Formats: sequence, C-alpha cells, structure tokens
Amino acid sequence: MVLNMGPQHPSTHGVLRVVLKLDGETVMDLDCDIGYLHRGMEKIAENRMYTQIAPYWDRLDYIAAVSNGLVWVETVEQMMGLAVPPRAHYLRTILTELNRIASHLLWLATHALDIGAVTVLLWALREREEILKIFERQFGARLTCHAWRVGGMPNDAYDDFNKDVRQFINNFPKRLDEYETVLSENRIWLSRTVGIGMISAEDAIAIGLSGPALRGSGVAWDVRKSRPYAAYADMDFDIPLGENGDTYDRYLVRLEEMRQSRRIIDQALEKLPDGPVNAKLPKVVKPPAGDYYHSIEGPKGEIGCYLVSDGTAQPWRVRVRPPSFINLQALRQMCVGHLVADVVAIIGTLDIVLGEIDR
Amino acid sequence: MLLFAPIDILNNLLLKVFSQETITFFIWPLIQIGLIVTLVALWVAYATYLERKISAFMQARLGPMRVGPWGLLQPIADGLKLLTKEDFIPENADRWIFFFAPYIAVASAFIVFSVIPFGPDWAVIADVNIGLLLVLAVSSVGVLALILAGWSSNSKYALLGGLRSSAQMVSYEVAMGLSLIGALMFARTLSLSGIVAAQGSDSIWYLVYQPAGFLIFLISGIAENNRAPFDLPEAESELVAGFHTEYSGMRWSLFFMAEYAAMVVVAAVATTVYLGGWYFPFVYRLETSGHHNLFVIISVLVFLVKASIILYIYFWLRWTLPRFRYDQLMDIGWKWLIPSALINIVLSGFAIFLVQALNGWRGITTIESLNRGLNLTATGKGIMIVIGVLGLFATAALLARINWRSRDFNLRVQRRNIRLVNVPQGKPAVQPQPGS
Amino acid sequence: MPLVKTPKPTFAQKLKRFFMIDLIKGLGLTLKYNLGALIDKDPVAGKGIYTEQYPKVRPDVAPRFHGAPRLNMDPETHDTLCIACNLCAIACPEDCIDVIPMDVEIIVAGKPRRKKVLDEFIFDTSRCMFCALCQEACPTSCLELTQDFELATYSRAGFVWNREMLEQGRETVKYTS
Repeated sequence: MVLNMGPQHPSTHGVLRVVLKLDGETVMDLDCDIGYLHRGMEKIAENRMYTQIAPYWDRLDYIAAVSNGLVWVETVEQMMGLAVPPRAHYLRTILTELNRIASHLLWLATHALDIGAVTVLLWALREREEILKIFERQFGARLTCHAWRVGGMPNDAYDDFNKDVRQFINNFPKRLDEYETVLSENRIWLSRTVGIGMISAEDAIAIGLSGPALRGSGVAWDVRKSRPYAAYADMDFDIPLGENGDTYDRYLVRLEEMRQSRRIIDQALEKLPDGPVNAKLPKVVKPPAGDYYHSIEGPKGEIGCYLVSDGTAQPWRVRVRPPSFINLQALRQMCVGHLVADVVAIIGTLDIVLGEIDR
Repeated sequence: MLLFAPIDILNNLLLKVFSQETITFFIWPLIQIGLIVTLVALWVAYATYLERKISAFMQARLGPMRVGPWGLLQPIADGLKLLTKEDFIPENADRWIFFFAPYIAVASAFIVFSVIPFGPDWAVIADVNIGLLLVLAVSSVGVLALILAGWSSNSKYALLGGLRSSAQMVSYEVAMGLSLIGALMFARTLSLSGIVAAQGSDSIWYLVYQPAGFLIFLISGIAENNRAPFDLPEAESELVAGFHTEYSGMRWSLFFMAEYAAMVVVAAVATTVYLGGWYFPFVYRLETSGHHNLFVIISVLVFLVKASIILYIYFWLRWTLPRFRYDQLMDIGWKWLIPSALINIVLSGFAIFLVQALNGWRGITTIESLNRGLNLTATGKGIMIVIGVLGLFATAALLARINWRSRDFNLRVQRRNIRLVNVPQGKPAVQPQPGS
Repeated sequence: MPLVKTPKPTFAQKLKRFFMIDLIKGLGLTLKYNLGALIDKDPVAGKGIYTEQYPKVRPDVAPRFHGAPRLNMDPETHDTLCIACNLCAIACPEDCIDVIPMDVEIIVAGKPRRKKVLDEFIFDTSRCMFCALCQEACPTSCLELTQDFELATYSRAGFVWNREMLEQGRETVKYTS
C-alpha cells in the first residue's frame, strides 16, 4: 500500500511530503518530496548587495536564525580579510550558543510532542521564550533576528545583558533535569526511541551527516573544535558522543549539548573583553574576486556558505550547504523496516527544518 | 428535615393523579433518570473543562480564561460553536449508518449509568442484581459504534483507524472483565449496590485486598477509552485522526461526549468496586441518626469526589506520559494484562480458600460473617493483605518468565551511554588577533 | 530491527522497574507543577504560571524592537527630519520604500537656491521584512522602527503606508477585561 504523508501534516516539521510504501504497517520504501518552501534565496542573493543578503539567511533555518547570519557575515569578513574586534567574537559566541539552546529546545518540544509527551512541549517553549526575550532586547527581533553585520554587530550588548543571560543559565540546568525526569528513563520513551532509526558511523559519514545526527553514531566531528571560529578557540567544552546511532542516543546527545552550551556561555561571559563591537568597513562591501567556503556548527549540523565573488558589489553565486537537506538523505535508510509510527519519531530525531532544505 | 420536605410534598401531589404503583415504578424513575442524565451530561461537559484547566496548570499556563469567569462557560461556548457548524457528510458515505454511529456510542455510554450506585436508597436508578455484567456488556456496544463510524465514512484512513481502535478496545475488555472477578470473589454478588454494601460491612476498600486487580482494571479502562498513553489510533501526529476523521460539528461532539462519558463510567465502576463506592464510615452515622435524605445526598457527594480522583488520574496520565506504539499497546494487553488478570483470579481464589480453611483451626477466626459479601476479621484481613502484596511480586515474576523474549522488556534497563570527549582543536579559519 | 546491546539489570534496577519508579517520577513532577500553578508565584525559576494574558495585558516590548516604521519629526518645529537622501530606499533589500522628493525655492545668503525636500514617502509594510537596514541607513534618525507590532489591516492596500500614516502612527485598540 502506498501512503502519502502529505505536505500538510502535524508532524513533518514543515511542508515535507513523504511517500511511504507499506506492507501492512512496515515501511518497505520511502521517498521524500521537497520543494514546497522553495523561495529562490540563492537566486535572489545574486541581485542584492552583500549587506542586504544577511536578512535572507535568517529565513533559512528560521528556528535558529542567529547562527545562519553568522555563517554569512563570517564568510564575507574572511574573504575581505576584515579583522573583527574580540568583543564582537565573544558576544557572537554567547549569542550563538544561546541560539543553539533555543533550537535544541524547540527540537525537544516537537519531538516529545510527536511521541506523545505534550507537557514537555510547553515547558521547553517556556525556556525558549526566555532566550527569545534576550534576543528581542539585543537584536530587536525574536526569531529572524538579522543579528550580525559584516564586521561585527550593529549595537553593543544592551544594559541588562549580563544579568539576563546569567539568570537564564542559572535556571537552565534545573529545567533540563526536569525534562530528563519525565523522559530519559521513562519506559514508554525508551520503547519508542531505543533501537529506532539506527545508522552506523560508516553510513553516517558516507551520507554526509553532520551535527547531532553524526555525533549520535559515535563520530567525533564538530566544526567548533576542528576549525574554530568566533571565540571557540578559547572555550573549554566537550563534545557528547553517542554509541548506537539510534533515536535515544541522539536525544541524549542533544540534551548534553545544551549543557555544554551553557558551559560555553558561562565561560564567555566571564572572559568578555571590552572594546568596540564593529570594525571599520569600506563604503561598499566588495570582497575580492574568487571563491570561498566557510562553515560553522549550527544546531542542526554543519551549515556552510560557498561564495563566489566577481569583485562587484553583488555576489556572483551564493551556495548554502544546508545541513537538514543532507541529513534528510538518511531518512530512507533509517526508516526502512520500521513501523509507520516510527517514521514520525525518526523525522523528529533528524531535526530538519524545511526552510533550509528548500531554501 | 425541612430541606427535603419537597420530596414528600411532591409524592403527595402525584398521589392525587396517579396510583402509588405508577409513581414508584414509573414517575420516580423518570425523575431519577432526568436527574442522573443531567448530572452526567454536566459532569462530562465540565470534565472537558477540567481537563483543559488541569493540563494547563501542569504545563505552567492558564487554560480557558476568557469565556465567563475563569473560563467556566467554555463548555457551553464549545457546544454552541459545534452546533453552528456545517453538517458535512462525505460523498459516498453510508448515510444512515453515518447518522446513527454517534448515537449508538453516546447511548451505550449513558445507559450504563442506570445501574451505577451514586448513593444508597434512591440515588441508583435500577439496582439490578447482575449490574456488573450489564456494565461490561453495554459498554462493549460502544465498540460497534466505532466500527460503524469508520466503515460509513468511506475513507480508507478512517476505516483503518476505526479498526485499529476497535481491536484495541476489544483486547482490553477481556482484561477488564477478568480483573473484576477478583473483587467479585469477595463481594459474592454482581449487583453494584451489593458490592458497595459488602465493602461497607467489611469496612475495607477492595483496593486493599486487590491492588493488582485495581491496577489492571484502571490500565485496561484507560486503554478501553483510547486515552493516553494508549491513544495512538487517534493521536494527531498519526496519519489519521481515527474513526472520527470525517465527522464534524455536533456529530463529532457526540463522539467526544461518548468518550468522556465512557471515562466517567470506568471511573465510577472503579470507585464502586475498588474504592468503596458511596460508603464513608463517618457519613453512615447520619443514617443511623435518622437524617436519611441528607445521608443520601452526602453519599452522592462522596461518590463524586472519589470518581473525580480517578478522573484526575486519567488527565494526569494523559499529560505526562508519551504514547505507546500500536504493536507495543497490543503487546501489553495480550501478553501482560490478561495473564496478570488470570493469575490474579487464581491467587485470589487460593487466598479465599486459605482463609476459609484457616477459619476455626486452632482457634483462629478469620471470617466474621458471610451475609453481605465476605466479611473478615482483623486476622483474616491481615492474611488477605499479605497474600495480595505477595501476589504482586509473584505476578511480576511469572510475567517476566513468560515474556522473557519480548524486545521492549529487555530494553527497559536504564542506562546513559553518552560519553563526553574533548577532541584536539584544529586550526581556526582565521588567526585570532593579538590581544584577544 | 537490529537489537541494541544492554547490560543485564541489577536487582535494584529490577525493583525500580517493578515499582514503575520511572513513570512515578515523571508523574510526580507534573503533580508538582499542577500544585505549583496554584500556589507558586514565580514562573521563570519556579513552577508558576507563565501565561501573559494578551490582549488584556500589553506585553513589554524591547526598546530595540523592529516594529512598525515611523518618520520622526523635529520636536520643536514639527518639520520632518527627512532630507530625501534616498539612502533608506537603496539599503532596503525588498524595495519597499519609495522616496519622492520635490524641489523648493529657498533663499541662502540672499540668492535663491533649490533645495530638495521630501514630498511623499511610500512604505509597503507587506513586503517589509523588518531587517532595520533602513533604520541604520538613515543619517538623521528620521526613519525609525517603533515598538508597534499590531499591523493587521482588512485590505492589501492598508499595508501601503504614506507619509501621513508614517508620521502620525497608528491607533492601536486597547482591550480591557
């Protein structure tokens, strides 16, 4: 039987269409149909100036917009050879890690909702609300922030920034423990997530997975460690690695990543230097002709930007390396052999966002 | 008391028109039915309101607040909204069955209330001496409504959803019926009022004698009502919304009401059989001191409070636990609950045999009387409680032995297998500036 | 489905599994939240209610919030601060600003000169993505994004704001209980 989990579905995390070939309740084959959210962002970028493209990047992974903006501005800065002041680096680190926590909280909320624990949704969204308030006070917008500018940040940290962030990270471990109380040892949660959606380390590397999906299978790859950007070179943190590559391991990896993010924010707040937050820019931002690839560790995986410039004020080609698009390729391998109810859990564990997949 | 004089006045008024027989067997039951249907309908409607409020408080939010003070008029607003919706029937649906399925569901849920003892004397409509059998039988008719709804919707997904729901309900009905037999052995009667009287005269709740039975009954009751954590067939993140996909407006709300009424039925039966029903020892003194009508009214309140505690457990479980997958659900019903219900029957029978055998042996009296159910002395109760608790462990051990191959059973060992590594740092993309 | 290797459970773990400790812990936490919603007053660090009852309660919006645009005027002379430099229209990625200048005659040092002033300012809020590039580009702090977020109208045309709407701002409906 062919079953269509259509583009409008409460659990496909966006407009994703999955065509399942079923034998009874077991999934035999799976095909994804994407493109429902294609907005032509890369083509639009060919006709805009470099500073004008930054807001479009927020709309890619709209849940974690701050890190998207970071890829773009860092690519342009590195191509131009701009030196960003250290205070901006540290503030970027703090806010990007807050952004990672916000994205993982939303992942936890929707994943728990799909599996049935609705209360965790509301609790995680409450924590995320605190982060979004910090973003609103700092950047002026909650979700699609347009956080960074080429050369640094538009405004320095607002007056109560330290106090608000400190308050958040003081409350946060207790909340994480609450989510763990309800979920991590719950036998129903274990029955629904252990052994579901397994992918081995070799397959994960072969497909090109990145982010928690890769680390859940035991591969130690994190762009923050292997090619540090912003202020990560000065930060002391660990990478959680899973063992079996199943949904439960990815769940534990993401929870632990939230704890490590909290650790990074703590250190960065301590070490925050003074100084300006933006560098002096030329009148028109024009990177030299050539191409450049830069990637960062976004919450969903390695998000990268391949920029081809022809020396003019508008880029020649902007190519996004979308982590969710590449992670989605693993869906077929993860789902075949499982039951239909598991497909929903597996889509949740891959943590895809259609804005990134379709651009 | 003056407060209840109207009952006698009304009786006298009616005597002018009808004969006493008509009044006793026709008019008063009609009034009782009217009262109980109103009470249950209000209870069901406000159970939806309470569910929204309780779930909201558990989730650190407020729930309905706008309609009426504290949102109290929300069920009425919902009802009005549903009445004004378009009455939509799918294209090639079977019209008459589509119409009748919700009515069958609601009827089967409400008919059960005719035998449930809300209180002593006049607070039960019909004290049939096979009351418990009637409850089980009539609530099974609800499954028919599900199948008819799924079939008549002319939709592949509604049909599959309806079949899955009904398969789940039928599986758990077996466990439900079997678990009640354990308590019946103590009550020695199927009449629900008799069961309450048995608990009253023994001054004990059968929950104490039958912890396993209560647990099995409650779990199968929750699964019977398609409530979380057993609600996969109708969960929103599943592919279908179950059998009621194609229903909208008032027809859908009838299914909704039937679901909540079935919840209330299970709660009421659980209170009656395991929690002592309307009996409360301090309230009983009102009866002996002659305030009969007041006694009845307060007993009804006691019953409502106890049933509400079980309803709270329903809401609590729904909003905390994730849901089982369908195969895990059926697994639990057939491989865990039915064997434990059977083991429970065997153990209870053995326990009663033991107690009766010990009675009079070497001067131990275990049985006090056999008038209303099995009344035990303190010794007898002690023995029964010990066997009840040991029975729990024995059941668990036996089930572990039976289900040793079950995959999920083996997975429930809690472990954290995340390790934290600190890999060596690579070269940064941009060399950090001096002084940073 | 491939099996996941698990270690054999110890007796303590078996006992915990029998008594359903894992489920009871989760249930205990929700019960605490339920009671906390009734007695706890602290929603951020505690278990209190986190709801903000909008529209009865106006939310506190941050000062930097990118909301509805506004053209500021000089507080004393009530002239517009806009110098019709068109920088905001150039900065906008979405082309939603249209600055229409006009020339007026002024006398500078006794000689008649032509000065460019603002005639009409069209801002299409339906195309705007509230990125604040225009606010940053404006040299006189005339164009500012305010804290007004209630921008809904009943027609498409209502989204296109002209100079007068931008200067006066919009009335927001205040709901009382």
